Amino acid sequence: MKTIPEAALNVMGRTAYIDDLPEPRNLLHSAVKLSGSARGRMTRIDAARALALHPSVRVITWKDIPGENQLGFTVADEPLLPEREWEYWGQPLVLCLAETKGLARRAAELVVVEGDALAPTFDPREAAAKGDFILPPRTQRSGDPAAAFARAAYVVSGRADSGGQEHVYLETQGAIAEPRDGDRIFIISGTQGPAVVQRAAARVLGLPMNKVEVETRRLGGGFGGKEDQATTWGCLAALGARLSGRPVKLCLDRKTDMRATGKRHPYSSDWKIAADAEGRLLAFEADYYQNSGCSCDLSAAIISRTLFHAVGAYRIPNVRVTGFLCRTNLPSFTAFRGFGAPQGIFVMEAALDALARRMGIDPVELRRRNLLEEGDITHYGMPMTRVRARESFDSLLEKTRWRELRAEVDSFNASHALEKRGLAVVPNCFGVSFTKLQMNQGGALVHVYQDGSVLVSTGAIEMGQQVSRKIARVTACTLGIPIERVAIERTTTLTVANTVPTAASTGSDINGMAALAACEEIRGRLVRRAAELVGGPAAGLSIEDGRVVRGREDTGLSWDDLVLKTYESRVDLSAHGFYATPGLFYDMEAEKGSPFAYHVYGAALVEVRLDVLRGLYAVERALIVHDVGRSLDRAVDLGQIEGAFAQGLGWALLEELAFGADGRLLSDTLSTYKLPDAHFLPARLEVEMMRETDNPRAVLNSKAIGEPPLVYGIAGYFALLDALRSARPDGPGMYDLPLTPEKALDYLTGDRPEYGREKAAKGDTPC
Amino acid sequence: MTRISLTVNGKRYERDVAENRTLLRFLREDLGLIGTKEGCGAGECGACTVLFDGLTVNSCMVLAVEADGRAVETIEGEAKDGKLSDLQEAFQKHHAVQCGFCTPGMIMSTRELLHRTPKPTVAEIKEGIEGNFCRCTGYQQIVEAVLDVSGQLEKKGELRHA
Ligand code: FES
Ligand code: FES
Repeated sequence: MKTIPEAALNVMGRTAYIDDLPEPRNLLHSAVKLSGSARGRMTRIDAARALALHPSVRVITWKDIPGENQLGFTVADEPLLPEREWEYWGQPLVLCLAETKGLARRAAELVVVEGDALAPTFDPREAAAKGDFILPPRTQRSGDPAAAFARAAYVVSGRADSGGQEHVYLETQGAIAEPRDGDRIFIISGTQGPAVVQRAAARVLGLPMNKVEVETRRLGGGFGGKEDQATTWGCLAALGARLSGRPVKLCLDRKTDMRATGKRHPYSSDWKIAADAEGRLLAFEADYYQNSGCSCDLSAAIISRTLFHAVGAYRIPNVRVTGFLCRTNLPSFTAFRGFGAPQGIFVMEAALDALARRMGIDPVELRRRNLLEEGDITHYGMPMTRVRARESFDSLLEKTRWRELRAEVDSFNASHALEKRGLAVVPNCFGVSFTKLQMNQGGALVHVYQDGSVLVSTGAIEMGQQVSRKIARVTACTLGIPIERVAIERTTTLTVANTVPTAASTGSDINGMAALAACEEIRGRLVRRAAELVGGPAAGLSIEDGRVVRGREDTGLSWDDLVLKTYESRVDLSAHGFYATPGLFYDMEAEKGSPFAYHVYGAALVEVRLDVLRGLYAVERALIVHDVGRSLDRAVDLGQIEGAFAQGLGWALLEELAFGADGRLLSDTLSTYKLPDAHFLPARLEVEMMRETDNPRAVLNSKAIGEPPLVYGIAGYFALLDALRSARPDGPGMYDLPLTPEKALDYLTGDRPEYGREKAAKGDTPC
Repeated sequence: MTRISLTVNGKRYERDVAENRTLLRFLREDLGLIGTKEGCGAGECGACTVLFDGLTVNSCMVLAVEADGRAVETIEGEAKDGKLSDLQEAFQKHHAVQCGFCTPGMIMSTRELLHRTPKPTVAEIKEGIEGNFCRCTGYQQIVEAVLDVSGQLEKKGELRHA
């Protein structure tokens, strides 16, 4: 395996994250004052005691903002600092600057913000009942669900809930801003989207974008949490720098980060599913009450992805799904790996689980019968091609020897009263592209220097997913040189403009393609020059492994000589490449189109062991079969699959976001918010990459890898539910994620009957 | 202020420190050894792990004055003369590093484990790193790196399940 210097810097602890950068001279530190209740109307800000603390203290409120006090681009509902009302517990109200971090924090504590309490809402269904939506509801439909429900042999309905999730990127959010040459401002921001920070900071400071430069070196994790929500910190630092005329650093401590920033959206959903007598799915309906939190942020794009993934990897001819963006007085929930898809897929899998139970058949068999097939048209009108749902599912069943395994587990359960094993299999079909169409574009700037070394700049942010390594690989392959000759430059708004955030698993796809376009242009110029140098036509000449070759024959000309000679003949050795994902379209009125470049497939089996007396459990084994197209780097892809699965499993079984009755975040430390540790992951975790096949819709036939494998965590939920049901065969369906040990115990003791009751009251067949 | 004298990665330092200064901040801000990271500042994540007379501590939970007369080892002492240690090589080779933020702490915890137990079992490795959160990797590749460096990977140099 090739090593690259960056990985070496990492293991040496020499990678510089924001808090590690040498501090500029004259630096001021800063801290934010957070609101102490969920909702209130501000009446007074008293900074006297804070200002008395030290002469360097400065207290900045919304009144000091020179430009527009607004970060929201989809909906203008996100002031940088609130002017009249605060809308959640933990919202930044005021910025304090001071000479040291300690002083800034103490000053923030001393600022007094007074206001009148307003009645908050926390429950998305309550907000929906009041009609308090951030944007109007959206519905996608296909076929005739009402007619299908009327003629179906089986109709089952129910409710499914999924909780939020903290990102817990190990590096907390932060930024450093510096005033430069008069009215320019330079921001180093821990963001997945430097151009987003640039645009917002320009707006807040009242500057044109060409006066604001944003640079991002490397993130200590992002997972979506720094897609939109790094903007606040970048803008606050910029505001401080602009007003004080000095560099300002704002790095959040863990608690502030957890309290103030958004997380994965909690959802509460109602579903209804129908099948014929053979268990073929006929219809599906769902209403998703997305808890959007206090502002729009990315919620609209996230609900899109939920709707697009509403029926998971299945074929269902009649569908009606509606998403509601419910405004509540909680932090603005935001992007998190999967971006609404896992929430939608969980509802679908819950419905299938209940249906299988109702029909008295193996849920795995029911799933298998209804997998998507080549040529199927999704409920949003996209014809599916190169479908690998059955291939992955069947290969998983074969590898696990499903029938034998099921029988073995059943007989174990029959002979053990205090210990139960549970199994589940969940398929995956994940659409790749930003759901907001315009975002599917990217640029790259490639320089070949006179000595033959190559420098690439793109909009991609390195946050551990090794996008740099993948882009270096694409560059090396396209130019025909060893990867060691390629360096990837840090991301800044100076080199590539108007970039989209590194998100939606598209970082390598989009930026890799843009780099490829630039490299192809340079290669064309070089090959033309090579033809002059070695004689003969340019056609048939290529560069391989640093040599100019014709067919298989070395022409005697090396890459280094060719580069130098091309330079000497006054030919440009730089190029800018641009890529816009082709073939995407979507009609928002009709809710039909082809919003994805392609889909990623796979399936996972999870096995758990349950301690019936205590409700404790261990995930014993997971087997994942996953579609990587033609992998750009198998070790990197493996790491992405395992890491995403760990997060998915954490979301499904362990990580519980807890808000108090007053809207205060109770799980605001790493001792009260439970993260997967080394023991939590299954003792046996096997990942099998599917037979490599071409994917003409992405760079070098690869496939996006960041988000799709998170879905496999959902198999953990249903495996545990399976074990719980063996312990309590009369128990109701329970679709309330995460399935923590506490909930498991309540289920076993029958202390949690609300699910059964609620469904009975609804009139449809209870599950 | 109190004068302390200690060794860090074998090098002797004498410094005046405030009594409430943590070892983490002392290392990062006074000695400029920024390899040790702060992930929580509350003893909960392990990113700040260093060796303290050979044993792992969360340096955010230790006061600098407590380090008086002690020997501290940090990630900066792991590579010698710019050459990666075997453990660092293994982390790199097995792609046990993604964002890299947990890595210095993870390597220090593993270092202590290997001092104690040169050939740890998988269970012992997991116990050795249980105080270190990694949000990126799912830990599997870290465990493999440690197995490899202790000469226990069945097929050396290959990923077990690639
Ligand atoms: S920073 Fe010390 S344990 Fe997290
Ligand atoms: S590599 Fe990112 S936290 Fe471990």
